[in-house]
Amino acid sequence: MNPVFNMDAASLSPVALFIHADWVVKFVMIGLLLASIWTWAIIVAFSRKLARTKKGMTRFERDFWKAEDIDAFHRMEQDNELPSARVFSAGVQEWRRSTAGGHIDRDGTRERLATAMGSAVAGEIDKLSDRLNVLATVGSVAPFVGLFGTVWGIMRSFTGIAQAQNTSLAVVAPGISEALFATAIGLFAAIPAVIAYNRFSHGVNRVEASLNRFADGFHTTLSRQLDQAR
Amino acid sequence: MERGERTGLAIAVAGHIVLFGLLSVGFLSTPNPEKLKVTPIDISLVKDVALEAASPNPNEQAAQSIAPEEGLPEDAAPPEPVEAEPEPQPAPPPPAPQPKPQPQPKPQPKPEPAKPQPRPEPKPQPKPQPKPAEKPQPQPKPQPKPKPAPAKPAPAKPVREAKPAPAAPAKPSPAARPSTAKPSTPARGSGQSQTATTAKPRGSRLGDNFLKGLSPDPSPSKSEAAPAAKMGAQQLANIASAIQRQVQPCANRQVTPGPGAEKIRVAINLHINRDGSLASEPRVVGHTGVDGENDRYVDRVDALAIATFKGCSPLRGLPQELYDIPNGWRNITLRYKLPG
Repeated sequence: MNPVFNMDAASLSPVALFIHADWVVKFVMIGLLLASIWTWAIIVAFSRKLARTKKGMTRFERDFWKAEDIDAFHRMEQDNELPSARVFSAGVQEWRRSTAGGHIDRDGTRERLATAMGSAVAGEIDKLSDRLNVLATVGSVAPFVGLFGTVWGIMRSFTGIAQAQNTSLAVVAPGISEALFATAIGLFAAIPAVIAYNRFSHGVNRVEASLNRFADGFHTTLSRQLDQAR
Repeated sequence: MERGERTGLAIAVAGHIVLFGLLSVGFLSTPNPEKLKVTPIDISLVKDVALEAASPNPNEQAAQSIAPEEGLPEDAAPPEPVEAEPEPQPAPPPPAPQPKPQPQPKPQPKPEPAKPQPRPEPKPQPKPQPKPAEKPQPQPKPQPKPKPAPAKPAPAKPVREAKPAPAAPAKPSPAARPSTAKPSTPARGSGQSQTATTAKPRGSRLGDNFLKGLSPDPSPSKSEAAPAAKMGAQQLANIASAIQRQVQPCANRQVTPGPGAEKIRVAINLHINRDGSLASEPRVVGHTGVDGENDRYVDRVDALAIATFKGCSPLRGLPQELYDIPNGWRNITLRYKLPG
């Protein structure tokens, strides 16, 4: 491989294709390139965050079911940023507020506990899946943006044919090559985005199900405690 | 933006830079773009109608070339004046120059001995031989006498070869004169009349084979005009190949519009300036090879043909002398066929 920039039209060099392109196509290419970079940034960050969250939640739930004293465990995990810790914290705080007075409304307390922890679960999932909409947008729109650049470039190529009065491949090929490069970048950005979106949606759903199971289990525990309370 | 996302962004930017950098230095580029080039394609140019010789007045047979008339054979027949020799020789002053050649005739005696041998004239021979040795000038009389003898064979030869009379006497003289500086004077000096002598200076310029290759039959043609430059099959082929060679690069750029289109032959008419540029838009004058399968490509092939000739004009190197003649390349019709 010769490490020299090959600037002729026959090469597949992205730089050469970019330089030869029309300014509209250049704009499209730049946008798609930024979308691709942002997509990959999200993919890298999200996959790490998701893996960390799953691992932390597994460890937290194991610790929780082992814990003897919920109040002591709550004090210990107070500053934990894990979703399950947040849900646990929301349940404990609601429990404390509901049982602060002398009279305890068991049904109302159960309802309030369920609502508080459900809302905490929803909030955590929202926070977790914040960037997924970017992936969905890039995955669905990037091919069309690339296609727009291609159509524009091909239109420009045909204008070139009309000007040159010549239909030879040498006149058409560079323009079409540049135009198709826009679609290539669009697909380059969209394909990872779509795959990552599906994969992360599945991961978020599993986290949500896991959170709901944990919330249900905690709610069951609190509800049992409520029955024993006098 | 969270800390994790910042890390992800850095990783993504680095990854894109690495990927596009690799692509830019030809990591995935086509190894040899030359292999992707289309192989040269063929174009055939055929004259629509075979042209024949187009001389303004073509001659089936060239007019027979006749040697210049230098006098009637009768003039050349000197025997008659010879008989009157004694009278002119002393009397006319013109014979005075003749005597000068006479010293040269002394060598002539050499031919004379050859001729006399077949001939039964013993008298002239002895006379000239002694005279050159003794007195060249005082004896003009005998010299003329031998001359009639060589002159006599002359009329005889014209009869055989149908040559003009003066040419015949010229023949023996070059053959017989090894040393003479003035070959023509003795011939003139033959017993011909003065007028005939002055009127026939060119006879000896003709080679002795100037009738070679000509038939004795008179040509039926009366035309003496020089044949004009004419457009024959050979010239036509040369022009067609010259044009083809020059439009080949443009033809190679054309792309066949569809299957069957290469069967269409377009007769295209070019008006060409003398400098080779097109005087007007090439005009399609007809098609052959059009069938139901490819008739939808006819217009396209027309456009390709016109583009081919427009793209590779002006045409260079066409023979100028064949420009402005009937059927010349000023207005030429060619048959164009798509490659393939």
